[in-house]
Amino acid sequence: MARDGTPAPAPHAGGEPGAGAATGDGPEILVEGISKVFGRRDVLRDVSFTVERGGFLALFGPNGAGKTTTLRIVATLLSPSSGAVRVAGHDLKDDPMPVRRAIGFISHNPLLYRDLTAEENLRFYADMYGVTDDGRRIRDLLERVELSHRRFDVVRTFSKGMLQRLAIARALLHRPRVLLLDEPHSGLDPHAVDILDGLLDEIRSEHTFIMVTHSLRKGLELADQVMILDGGRIVFRQTGQVAEDAFAAVYREHVHEGALV
Amino acid sequence: MSLGMRQYRAMVRKDIIAELRTKEMVVSMFLFVVLAMIVFHYAFTVRGSVRLSLLTGGMLWVVFVFGALLGLNRSFVHEKDEGCLDGLLLCPVDRVTIFLAKTTANLVFLAIIQLLAVPVFLLFFSTSDVVSNLPGLLAVVVVADIGITTLGTLLATISMNTRSRDLLLPIIFLPLIIPLLIAAASGTAKVFNGDAGLSSLLGVLTFLVVYDAVFLVLAYGTYDFAIGE
Amino acid sequence: MESATSAVAETTARPEAMRIGVTTAVFAAAGVLLAVGLLAAFWWAPTDASAMGFSQKILYFHAPIAWCGLLSFGVAFVAGILYLRRQDAKYDLLGVAAVRLGLLFSGLVMATGMIWGKAAWGVFWAWEPRLTTFLIACLLYAGYFVLRSTVEEESRRATYAALFAIIAFVDVPITFFATRLLPEGLHPVVIRPTGTGMVAADAVALFVSMAGMTLLLVGMLRVELGIETLREELHYLKNRLGR
Repeated sequence: MARDGTPAPAPHAGGEPGAGAATGDGPEILVEGISKVFGRRDVLRDVSFTVERGGFLALFGPNGAGKTTTLRIVATLLSPSSGAVRVAGHDLKDDPMPVRRAIGFISHNPLLYRDLTAEENLRFYADMYGVTDDGRRIRDLLERVELSHRRFDVVRTFSKGMLQRLAIARALLHRPRVLLLDEPHSGLDPHAVDILDGLLDEIRSEHTFIMVTHSLRKGLELADQVMILDGGRIVFRQTGQVAEDAFAAVYREHVHEGALV
Repeated sequence: MSLGMRQYRAMVRKDIIAELRTKEMVVSMFLFVVLAMIVFHYAFTVRGSVRLSLLTGGMLWVVFVFGALLGLNRSFVHEKDEGCLDGLLLCPVDRVTIFLAKTTANLVFLAIIQLLAVPVFLLFFSTSDVVSNLPGLLAVVVVADIGITTLGTLLATISMNTRSRDLLLPIIFLPLIIPLLIAAASGTAKVFNGDAGLSSLLGVLTFLVVYDAVFLVLAYGTYDFAIGE
Repeated sequence: MESATSAVAETTARPEAMRIGVTTAVFAAAGVLLAVGLLAAFWWAPTDASAMGFSQKILYFHAPIAWCGLLSFGVAFVAGILYLRRQDAKYDLLGVAAVRLGLLFSGLVMATGMIWGKAAWGVFWAWEPRLTTFLIACLLYAGYFVLRSTVEEESRRATYAALFAIIAFVDVPITFFATRLLPEGLHPVVIRPTGTGMVAADAVALFVSMAGMTLLLVGMLRVELGIETLREELHYLKNRLGR
């Protein structure tokens, strides 16, 4: 905590989040001093944090702060210029494949092929992840996201909300331990938001999460750890529940809009 | 079936199903190829001493290479336009497997076009009796196709990530494909001029096989860099 | 603002290649060797007995330039591999310098080749293996710069450029062999496996010219690399101050 000069974390109830799930192998997600340089632009500087198994980290910050970059690094889509990341006990650089198996990724882009049906999309990803009971799993997930009736329809005909629901099914298909969410609520209609929230509630205890979001309320509701990134650095980090108005004040205090590069 | 095989088949199947559903690409490629042949007919119509059969080997491959370019440009169109590249890269799949699957899909599309176009070509240009050296022609076509799709897929992976995607691919692809074009055209010309037998094509075939091998190895070694990040 | 001016201060030290010293020595040595080689070519080497006559002397320019062009592309190839392994931007700059010089030399090969062709055989252009290979190489490596111009992000641009430099260099010998598949043209084969088909004095003059030209290339590469490095710095500083 001294590294970014923030106040010491407020005391919180209970022990580490996700109590009882700790396997003794260390945190589920361990990020150590990662930086990312694009050409000569410092997008991330010396970012470190951990998320325990079963924990939920909400990541806030202004645009360009490096939130999506951080998430993409943990998702193995980007490699850090320096530093190390461990997910589910595996190092990202040495051993990316087991990490990819352990991660599910949901962003505002549903990552679905528009000319394929819902079923074909899920079958494709099931094959790519080597899911063994794919037939039953696909059926179950389609039910959970309330899309069974559109199973054989080409995805191009889906609404945004339906796309996002199918994307959730896609992300959960291979039973990942870790879920990475990049502004999953953006652009969704209320019904889709409800289904998404309902699902998140349901699977909350079985998974570890990092969620990047602009919605203070949603983030704080679900999280047991919050972090603010600005200009590529962590400017605030705290474990435990945080009240919304208190946090809004903290946010204004720590984030300087339009900072110099 | 190993995971790699399962992933390979899934990717090839996905590309083929997606294309068959819209048929955008193969229809465009086929139309282009037929139109090009018509243009060639009028461009090269001379009366008198020029034997058209001297030119037809080359004409056929010009048409195939440019037609292939249309298809190669679209290698990653679904991933790029629909933002699915992340989805593919998130999967626990070897990047080289992705390359092999994309190359295979491109090969299938090119083969479909060629199967449809060659009869039309023979109809338009009625060159000498091809059937006598059909195995020779087939051998040249297969080996040349592998080279075109291998190199083309590798370069398309690079060009899809640049600003001027469609414009860049011909610029970097055509100079590199010239050696293959020379070999394939000269081999096909031999067939059309009645050179019987596989043996006369040995030089051409050897060259093509070496070409394919070199670029396959190169692609294998560099594909992680081409598709990553 | 203060951070920008300090950035200017720390980057205006001249790149190593542009300091007087090693580079001057290289150019001096190149100059001496080239002078000796060309003197030998024009004064001592006998005029070619065949129909080509005096124009054959162009070989003493043409061949070393061709050799240097290929060598430069080879440097770009190695620089590409090194960049991919080590991710150090200086290899990218070296690649750019090497390809640029390679293009320059290739252009000169074609020019001298065309002059020679006209003087010796009456035609400016003939579709024979060496000339054609260099023509294709010119177009190929021009594509290198087109590729670079389409990628904005520096490390991705360097990665793709490195890949292309590797692929292109592998293709050059392949192209050469392909153009030999078709019947041979007018270009005389000078150095055969059974020894040079020329008189001894010729061979010495030729190799001295080659050595001189190679040193010239080395000197030019150093200078070009220096220029490239400075250009990069300038670009970077412009961006920072422009904000």
